[in-house]
Amino acid sequence: MRKYLLLLLLFTCCAFNSAHAADASALFQSLRSKVLSVQDYTADVKMNINVSYMRIPQLNGTLYYKAPDKMRLERHGGLSILPKKNINLTLSNLIPGGNVTVIDMGNALIGAKTVRVLKVIPDDEKSDIILTKIWVDETDLVALRTETTTRNDGTVTMDLEYGRYTNSCLPDKVTIFMNLKDYKLPKGVTMDYNDQPQPPKSTDKKNQKGTIKITYLKYSINTGLTDKFFAAPEKQ
Amino acid sequence: MQLLRIELYKIFKRPRTYISFGIITAITFVIQLAMLSDGKSFIGFALQGINEQFDIHGNILNGYLVAYIILQSLLIHIPLLVALVAGDMLAGEANIGTLRLLLTRPVRRSQLVLAKFYASFIYTVLLIIWLAFIALFLSLLLFGKGDMINLKSDAFVMLLQSDILWRYAMAFVFAVLAMTTIASMSLLLSAFADNSIGPIISTMGIVVVLTILSNLELPLFNLIKPYLFTTHIIGWKGFFDDPVPYSAILRSSAILVLYTIAFITTTIIYFNKKDIRS
Repeated sequence: MRKYLLLLLLFTCCAFNSAHAADASALFQSLRSKVLSVQDYTADVKMNINVSYMRIPQLNGTLYYKAPDKMRLERHGGLSILPKKNINLTLSNLIPGGNVTVIDMGNALIGAKTVRVLKVIPDDEKSDIILTKIWVDETDLVALRTETTTRNDGTVTMDLEYGRYTNSCLPDKVTIFMNLKDYKLPKGVTMDYNDQPQPPKSTDKKNQKGTIKITYLKYSINTGLTDKFFAAPEKQ
Repeated sequence: MQLLRIELYKIFKRPRTYISFGIITAITFVIQLAMLSDGKSFIGFALQGINEQFDIHGNILNGYLVAYIILQSLLIHIPLLVALVAGDMLAGEANIGTLRLLLTRPVRRSQLVLAKFYASFIYTVLLIIWLAFIALFLSLLLFGKGDMINLKSDAFVMLLQSDILWRYAMAFVFAVLAMTTIASMSLLLSAFADNSIGPIISTMGIVVVLTILSNLELPLFNLIKPYLFTTHIIGWKGFFDDPVPYSAILRSSAILVLYTIAFITTTIIYFNKKDIRS
């Protein structure tokens, strides 16, 4: 009798886990479908780059995006600075495509909100993304945080805040946390003015944290941007 | 005033004076030409550390950046051009034998030294205005406007194009102050000599040696660096930082003014006692 009870318990556990995994997988697929429903957008943005060795004022401009990975920041005659292409700023690029294994990591809190944490591992071994952790708000079906470990560019964490465009899974504010290498040029080349106050230096000289905050002011979604637009030559 | 007018007349009558303007024009044209033909690879090389992690698009090689590169390249040359005139002020007259004649007039020696200093100052101001015109405005015409990138040894500074012109104006004002210090030193050396080659070469020698000391990263030199005027003559670069280190720039300006006063005072004291034989 005891044997049967144990077997029943084991079977129930397996069934529960399997249902949970299927549930997590379905949640991830729903989220991915929602994210991928936006094929392109144009957005007026304000960008703040906060990197220890970079002193850049707030950049105002227009951000153009086309799925899956095309992005361009236009600053009406000014310079645009974006992280390297393989660390793209869009959610769609940080969520793995193709076949994936989704692991349910349970619930967590972001602020006062209870969210579901999913661990997503791409089945494709050649994928640039090794692992993504997604904090999903099940009520609005949006990702509030992602932590993506890439093959070449370390770990990129992204915090997202939603407002007017929650239905399209487009954030109002994004904060990207990334690991950056140190920057150094010989003083003999730059001939620095030595009397300047030195900003406090990071203790870890090789790898420093940087944040990029993007505030999206206004979106125009699915306007039919062409690939040609992103290939337009720019003067350097 | 009359003395100053005479000194200015003497300066601008000499063909040598215009050589300086010609040299500035030639160097500026050469750098602009080099930037037009091969500027992209130069920028690519300078930005390689940044390009590993960020994509930068737009008109990076614009007039503001080219003007900055020109100013940086002319750091060593402009003191020579200032010395060409200031170093000749007293020694040149001694060489051609007009100094003694000049001092037979009812003019105090200190007045004569000050007139020569003011004339050198006006020449320096005109030289910097010409540099501003040719380096900044011509570069803007050739390369267009845009946000400016300033690469420091440990920082990447980006300035918005609407926030740059005032920085150049302040940098040129600071450059006038720095070059006035060089002019006053050259005038002092000119008082010691009886031909103008000595003061001109000595000025250059002092500037080159002290610039090397200012840029060498050795603990021994770190002690004396804050007191060398060559450490402070590049203070104009501070205006291209963000935030602008105003206190450091003010300190540098004060040190340069003190050096100028010290050089002029020494010149007057020495010249008042000097036995003029020619």
